[in-house]
Amino acid sequence: MIVLATRDSKAASAHIRPKEEFNFFQDTRVRSAFYQILTVLIVGWGIWYLISNTTHNLDRLGMNTGFGFLSSTAGFDTDFKLIEYEPGVGTYWRIFLVGALNTLLVSILAIIASTILGFIVGVLRLSNNWLVARLSLVYVELVRNTPLLLQIIFWYVGVFSVLPRVKNSFDLSGGAGVLIINNRGLYGGWPVPGDLFWITTATFIASVIGTFFLVRWARKRRDNLGLQFPIVKASLALLVIPSTVVFLLTGSPMSWDIPTLQGFNFVGGFTLPPAFLALLVALVAYHAAHLAEAVRAGILSVNRGQTDAAKSIGLSPNRIMSLVVIPQAMRSIMPPMISLWMNVVKNSTLAVAIGYGDLVALFMQTALNQAGYAIEMVGMTMAFYMTISLLISWVLNIYNKRVQLVER
Amino acid sequence: MKITKLLTSVATAGAILVSGAVSSSASAESTLETVKKRGHLRCQVGQPQPGFYNLDSKGNWYGSDVSICQAVAAAVFGDKTKLEIQSTTSAKRFIALAAGDSDMLSRTATWTLLRDSQLGIDFTTVNFYDGQGFMVRKDSGIKSAMDLKGAKVCVSTGTTTELNLADFSRTNNLNISPVTFEDKNVRNQTYVKGGCDAMTNDKSGLASNKAAFANPDEHMILPETISKEPLAPAVRHGDNQWADIVRWTVNVMIAAEENGVTSANVDDMRTNSKNPSVRRMLGAEGNLNEGLGLSKDWAYNIIKQVGNYGEVYEKYMGDGKLGIGIPRKGSQNALWTKGGLMYSPPFR
Amino acid sequence: MGIVNATKTPARSAPLSEGSVLGWLRINLFSSVANTILTVVALYIIFLLVRGIWVWGIQEAVWSAESRRECFKISKEGACWAGVINWLDSIFYGRYPREEIWRINVGGLLLVLWMAPLWIPRVKGKVIIGLTTVFLYPFLAGYFFSGGEKGIFMQVMVSAAIVCLVAITIHAALGFFANSSLLQFLLRITGADKSSEKNQRNVLLGLLAAAFIGVFVWQMSWQFESVTWTKWGGLFLTFVISGIGIAFALPGGIILALGRRSKLPVIKVLSTTFIELFRSVPLITVLFMATTMFPLFMPDGFAINKLVQVIIAVCLFNACYMAEVVRAGLQAIPKGQEEGAYTIGLGYWGTMGLIIMPQALKVMIPNIVGSFIGILKDTTLVSIIGLFDILGMLRAISEDVFWRGLHHEPLLFGAALFFILCFAMSKYSRHLEAKLSTDHKD
Repeated sequence: MIVLATRDSKAASAHIRPKEEFNFFQDTRVRSAFYQILTVLIVGWGIWYLISNTTHNLDRLGMNTGFGFLSSTAGFDTDFKLIEYEPGVGTYWRIFLVGALNTLLVSILAIIASTILGFIVGVLRLSNNWLVARLSLVYVELVRNTPLLLQIIFWYVGVFSVLPRVKNSFDLSGGAGVLIINNRGLYGGWPVPGDLFWITTATFIASVIGTFFLVRWARKRRDNLGLQFPIVKASLALLVIPSTVVFLLTGSPMSWDIPTLQGFNFVGGFTLPPAFLALLVALVAYHAAHLAEAVRAGILSVNRGQTDAAKSIGLSPNRIMSLVVIPQAMRSIMPPMISLWMNVVKNSTLAVAIGYGDLVALFMQTALNQAGYAIEMVGMTMAFYMTISLLISWVLNIYNKRVQLVER
Repeated sequence: MKITKLLTSVATAGAILVSGAVSSSASAESTLETVKKRGHLRCQVGQPQPGFYNLDSKGNWYGSDVSICQAVAAAVFGDKTKLEIQSTTSAKRFIALAAGDSDMLSRTATWTLLRDSQLGIDFTTVNFYDGQGFMVRKDSGIKSAMDLKGAKVCVSTGTTTELNLADFSRTNNLNISPVTFEDKNVRNQTYVKGGCDAMTNDKSGLASNKAAFANPDEHMILPETISKEPLAPAVRHGDNQWADIVRWTVNVMIAAEENGVTSANVDDMRTNSKNPSVRRMLGAEGNLNEGLGLSKDWAYNIIKQVGNYGEVYEKYMGDGKLGIGIPRKGSQNALWTKGGLMYSPPFR
Repeated sequence: MGIVNATKTPARSAPLSEGSVLGWLRINLFSSVANTILTVVALYIIFLLVRGIWVWGIQEAVWSAESRRECFKISKEGACWAGVINWLDSIFYGRYPREEIWRINVGGLLLVLWMAPLWIPRVKGKVIIGLTTVFLYPFLAGYFFSGGEKGIFMQVMVSAAIVCLVAITIHAALGFFANSSLLQFLLRITGADKSSEKNQRNVLLGLLAAAFIGVFVWQMSWQFESVTWTKWGGLFLTFVISGIGIAFALPGGIILALGRRSKLPVIKVLSTTFIELFRSVPLITVLFMATTMFPLFMPDGFAINKLVQVIIAVCLFNACYMAEVVRAGLQAIPKGQEEGAYTIGLGYWGTMGLIIMPQALKVMIPNIVGSFIGILKDTTLVSIIGLFDILGMLRAISEDVFWRGLHHEPLLFGAALFFILCFAMSKYSRHLEAKLSTDHKD
């Protein structure tokens, strides 16, 4: 080795730069190139090895491959779907869409609800009321320290299955029959717009545009003249009053498709099965508890001096919270919140355990069992979750950049 | 200096990996040899299912399908305990067998053409005839499966059960809406608490589930059977000798019952029986064992250690202490001499 | 003219002191109308919960019975804890042969013995103890748990592990009682503490070899019955999977995080892709892929068992999560530290290993413990793909002929067990956070 090195240095010294000894093995560029090429080779070899094994095995076991199955019909049914699907007519691609939409529905609702609940509990954790603060703490610790899978099963078996039976359904709307709950789910009325409803819609759109200009005007006035305008109340009034008046003047052109008991079940309106409700509640409870901790930590991280200063210029406690503390707390709340939202989507896959037809349950479990095509189906499912996760982190990171402290 | 060392080590590691891969892929011995060399049989069952395969509180597997595993172990080794029970979900049962994780599959797998021909496995012979049915509450007023129009039906996901239900609903225009479950317990709970109007499953499963309800008398199983579910042990495709061993193990148990050979009288029968068929089966005369590559007393070991088909049925499926109370009399699982379908080809 | 107040201002009553019960109640529970309402509502919720739990779980519960039917006969309104008690061995140890359970217990005790010195303040060389836990203990535990024939390699590793364990224990005892270390002690009793360094080394190596040979001969006589992985289960299996996951996650995560921060583009891109790939998909899909597709990836006739497949999946998944925790820790270290290290002539690994990592790890500890809790909880997912971990065992109870349909009680028992474990860990992490915190809080 030493011999080799000397020969190299001799060769190098014959070149233009005699002073700088070029040592092939000591040069950082050579080294880094070497490591990188080596890594590429190893990884490439590994991938090739796996692929060749897989093709060989698929061949040996006589298993089918390709995406042709997506257009063949699926023979099983599912009870909760947002788009038309009929067994024997719908294709596997349709099943994929049904599952994906079900996943998205429960995830989006869970994200919204858990964010709201998380903030509330986070603030309650710091409540002056000792009992409330303690109760929030108990809730947070209980939920954070038990597996989510157990909790989902608990909500399903322990809560939503012990609701009254169909014949003794409980009317949440107090006799109006618009919102009914029993152990088969939540049944609700669905509004059906009448002929003249477009006038109300048009008025509402006009109000929205009006509100937008009102807000701009008020902000400008505040900046120029320093005058406050009751912006929230004014825009709410603008949004609600004209639409309502027009709606009533045109003769309330709207009817309700109300669930009615026919045969074994309620028919009409919309239905949310108990599996959906249990999954939603479990996801919300679980992630809200995690978010609550982040919110609490975020609020505590805001320097005490900020609150004191805000008090000294005479802001009310509510305004201190909403104008001073929360905006600053957002900086440390944002990063955990991004990963929490992604977790909601990923954890919704535990629906498998209670039979809610999400993407994993419908496509990667049932469809895979019926049709085979393990690689394609698992691949498509993973690609779906990857896309959603990347989308969430991309959107939230844009927001995150905006709230971060800009250092000058 | 460092680099060369690294290079050599990488090269060596690569060489080891490649050579390892080559040597391991070169093994092509018969399943029987592999099993004998390993010293125990690997038999695949499913997640606990009463009657067929189940766990007790001591951690032992028991059940009628487990008995088939034990019988094969007894036939190969003369010792039913030389057995490793593997439990897999129904989602990957066939791939696990085809890929060589287990030597045989003895679980409630329905014998279908597609599975037999396209999944790299072979079914041997039926050891239990089942069929899909419905269970309803007695006070629901439902007397027939045709009354289920618009009903919600609880069903397990990922099995042929779900497909049969959809087919049944379509053919009879019943518009049944299925409520699917991965977890059987959750399915049962939902049905009992009224989350579904009916529950569908293999009838054996329905019977055993019903027996476990707090008030079994409030429920009944509807008369219709909407599917054929012949349950059979399966082996990997391509090793006929091994398939023969498993097939004839089941046949021995059926034939033994037919000829009145039980675990209690098998010693006596081997020496004193006048029936040539029994004598050939138990190895007292002839050499039927040679083609299978097993010892002369293979069938004797099965009966002695595990019992005949009737004994096993009584113990796990019938009214025994561990049983789930499915009546055998008059069903397809009775012997052919008693009007059932259980029939063993002759031992000669 | 002076304004004189003719009447005396009435004295205000003294403020309630926080020390008195009444004062505390007033300040913390009834300070305003809203607070009072909150308090009353909260009290009512607590009352309902406690009463429900008490009646169902204790007052009406059945503690000893032979089957669920018998439970029903005794009480229909209460919990049937008898089933859980009957299955307790299975819940903790799975299908492990009952007469061999002591091996699991001993294995667990050895781990406690091995790691206990890490928590004794006066013991030196904690890094070495920690490393040996990761690299030597698994061999000892693996042999205890699976038994059977052990090859020459296994014999060597087991012997090395035992020597190491004995050394650590003596070392810890010396450190605790005599504030000394094993090396000093050995040198003193052999009288070599005054001799040259080379001499000292020879003495120590000789002692080490003697101990190793002694242990090697001793362990050759061990005969453990073989217990295959299919018999592992219950809480034990949960601990094995999550334990290996935890042990692998940290080193794996450090490597991936360093790769992601690397200046070599290929390595950076590869690490980043790998991390993001695993972090953006649900664990259940990874587990599913591992169990259905692994057999297809492997060459013909090369079957690895399901437990190994699951462990590989759990390790890779958690390493990627840990990588992000590590990266966050690394980012918290000022750039000056790295530049300073380079200035004094340390190379890349020297800088990372001696300067950056020790500081970063300290910052990360609470998050690392948080990840460990996550791993422990996530391990329950393996029951979905058919392993008999604790959740799998709890579900198996309701299939047992004697306990058919017993569903709530086992799950609640499992939840309580997890709560105790995870809550203890999270409390400990808070304690560490407070202890390690060097910030000045106002």
